[in-house]
Amino acid sequence: MQKQLLMGNEAFAHAALNAGIRVAAGYPGTPSSEVIEAIAEEHAAGRARGVHVEWSTNEKAALELLAGAAYAGARTLFTCKQVGLNVASDALMSLNYVGVKGGTVLFVADDPGPISSQTEQDTRRFGSFAKVPVFDPATPDQGCDMIEAAYELSEAYRTPVIVRPTTRVCHASTFLAFPETTTARDIPAEGFVRSSKWVIFPKRAFEAHGEINERLVQIADDYSTGALAAFNPVEEGGSVQGQRPRLGIVAGGVSTMYAREALRMLAERCDAAGIEVPAYRFMQIGTPYPFPEKAVETFAEGLDQIIVFEELDHVIEDGLLALCGKLHAGYDVFGKLNGYARDRGENTVDDIFDRIARYLGLERVLEAVGSSESETAPLAYDGPLPMRPPVLCAGCPHRGSFYAIKRALGKTPAVLCGDIGCYTLGNAMPLDAVDTCLCMGAGITMAQGFSIVEPEKKTVAFVGDSTFFASGLTGIVNAVYNQHDITVAVLDNATTAMTGSQPHPGTGVTMMGPKSAPVSIEAVLKAVGFECIVHANPFVLEESVAAAKVAIGFDGPSAIIYEGPCISLSKPGEPVSIDAAVCTGCKKCITEIGCPGIGFDAGACGPASGGRGQAFIDRSLCNGCGLCVQVCPFHAIRLPESPNDSASGSRAGGGTDA
Amino acid sequence: MLNILLAGVGGQGTVLAAKLLAQAAEAKGWQVRTAETIGMAQRGGNVVSHVRMGDEGEPVYAPLIARGTADLIVAFEPAEAARVLGYLKPGGTMVCASTAIQPVSAALSSTPYVASEVLQNLAGEIEQAGGSFFAVDDASLVEKAGGRKSLNVMLLACALAEGGLAVTVDDLRRAIPACVKERFVDMNLRAIDLSIAR
Repeated sequence: MQKQLLMGNEAFAHAALNAGIRVAAGYPGTPSSEVIEAIAEEHAAGRARGVHVEWSTNEKAALELLAGAAYAGARTLFTCKQVGLNVASDALMSLNYVGVKGGTVLFVADDPGPISSQTEQDTRRFGSFAKVPVFDPATPDQGCDMIEAAYELSEAYRTPVIVRPTTRVCHASTFLAFPETTTARDIPAEGFVRSSKWVIFPKRAFEAHGEINERLVQIADDYSTGALAAFNPVEEGGSVQGQRPRLGIVAGGVSTMYAREALRMLAERCDAAGIEVPAYRFMQIGTPYPFPEKAVETFAEGLDQIIVFEELDHVIEDGLLALCGKLHAGYDVFGKLNGYARDRGENTVDDIFDRIARYLGLERVLEAVGSSESETAPLAYDGPLPMRPPVLCAGCPHRGSFYAIKRALGKTPAVLCGDIGCYTLGNAMPLDAVDTCLCMGAGITMAQGFSIVEPEKKTVAFVGDSTFFASGLTGIVNAVYNQHDITVAVLDNATTAMTGSQPHPGTGVTMMGPKSAPVSIEAVLKAVGFECIVHANPFVLEESVAAAKVAIGFDGPSAIIYEGPCISLSKPGEPVSIDAAVCTGCKKCITEIGCPGIGFDAGACGPASGGRGQAFIDRSLCNGCGLCVQVCPFHAIRLPESPNDSASGSRAGGGTDA
Repeated sequence: MLNILLAGVGGQGTVLAAKLLAQAAEAKGWQVRTAETIGMAQRGGNVVSHVRMGDEGEPVYAPLIARGTADLIVAFEPAEAARVLGYLKPGGTMVCASTAIQPVSAALSSTPYVASEVLQNLAGEIEQAGGSFFAVDDASLVEKAGGRKSLNVMLLACALAEGGLAVTVDDLRRAIPACVKERFVDMNLRAIDLSIAR
């Protein structure tokens, strides 16, 4: 049991293995992906015995697979990001009515900010919508304890349980100790036992709804008085001797730690300035659903005011308000609803510090900053700084695909439907090749909607290989069935790149080790009835443009498959070079494809450029993909002249080496 | 509390640098929490890693550093250094690699991004507030080391050599074996020696 530095998600993987999970399944999505990866790593190293771990085709497939395993009595772990639960929600809603036999924990990571997501939806709300209990950890350490408790709770009440950390908990690291090896718990000897309860029917659903309502009342009590009450801790603070607290502070998730930090800073600064901190009572709500009413009632006793810090929705705030009404209690609640806390985005220690200082009547501390000797005004940089939004990597195959489609379309009016993945970044200048992005797989089906109402325009739907399998299949069948004139551009980089290179059905690589036969995207398209399917290497411009013209010109559903591996999958090649004697400084390489490997030196001077400046190659980023070589109208950019060029040189010249 | 912020561009290796610092803190028996930027921003966007150590035996609550409280900022790129300046404690130390990484947006724009101006402004701001600023000639370090692979470790070594903190270059050396693959241990140790032998 040696301590090791673990990222929250890695720690959660260990906690679930330690709880004896037999099956773990999910679909990649930031900030949740590392859980499945860590379980697979433990399994591959022989340290996690008896566990089955997989990336399922999508979240719905994962949760349904786990439901089967759980009906037979296995402990199971589901993982996804917040929007992934939308995909699995059909299964979840009914699963809660049917109930489980083996402990079933849904690890659903929320993303305040949002930092890497489409929405700021709050999975605690999903818990109350689906009537499924929710745990909300403040730290990786606490999340591990919650996972253990969640399995016990799940089996005690036959309910699925959600553990919902947020990005800052998932991606925070700390030193934790876990047993060297784990063994999956065997399923009970009797296994799956046939019963009418496993078959959801209206009559059964009516009964089940009553059972759910009853168990939620009991669980709310467990959260307040039993062992689980430890997740709703109450502390008292303040420096005024003998004063009874009339001010309450409540926090959930990582805001708990921000608030504790802010309270510590406040105590230190007040102490230094000789200011007294009034008595206050602090509570973490670690089990937001069902709301731990009895614990909160005790907490609120004698309080006149309560301020709430939570991210995403005002879930705890609503709970406090409802309880206040129910009890005819006299406390006022301050939070998101009345402007006393941020209504969206992430909380910070700084913001909570300011708000608590004002709430406790300690504005003087805020004013003291900058006035005393030890405190100087915070530093700030006010000069101009370049923006640095995320971009497609240097050497990314998607750049060539987007560029080829744009070139093939020329001035033809078109709608370019994007999708979820690295290739959403095709929206940035200068490629500017993404007109829409809605949700996983939506590009293919949205393109069909455009084609109905704007038939004079061409519609192209970009979809990545992993997204194609996850959510694109229904859309391509619909295109054939209803005969929509769209072109699907499959950007096949042989991985799930944005979330950190996870395998998918098209790769055949599994998390258990043995390879399966890769599912061919082309075979799928053919089988469902696509009559026009063309291929191109996105690093070869002419070929890619020609293929795009064929597919876009076809009347009816057509597809282009651009196959080029993600740069993370192959060794970088030698960088290209720019001939300073030839570069005219026209900037075409920059304004056409916008590769981060090409910069512009306004001070550079050459025979062809005069004082215009010249482009230069950032050798630390360029991997010699060769796309820019084909874009430069003056042949100023050269592939490396090495004898074994054809083997290790450009992707355009050599083969692809996934 | 000892707060160290690492700022750079996705792919520069701030994550390993944070790991090394965490390992060094653990070896001293301190509680430590780190936080990373993972996800979309890693694709060439700006990234930060926060490292917080309870160097007086106190618990670490928040994984993120509050503004104006970083004892040390290690920046891997000048504009990224400027972007996080607000985190520096008045009197704190900033160590910054002097080579600019031009974002595509700067190459496209008509107003160029000039790193030397940014470095100069940073030095002025920080020294005025009683702090220390060190620009590291990372290009020559990379040349000496024969590659960019251990630039993160080299910058960290420079920073710890200048930082005057309770975490030292020797602590960094001792943390290497636990954090990098065995075959890279020597390369990283050599990189540390190179960067402080100036």
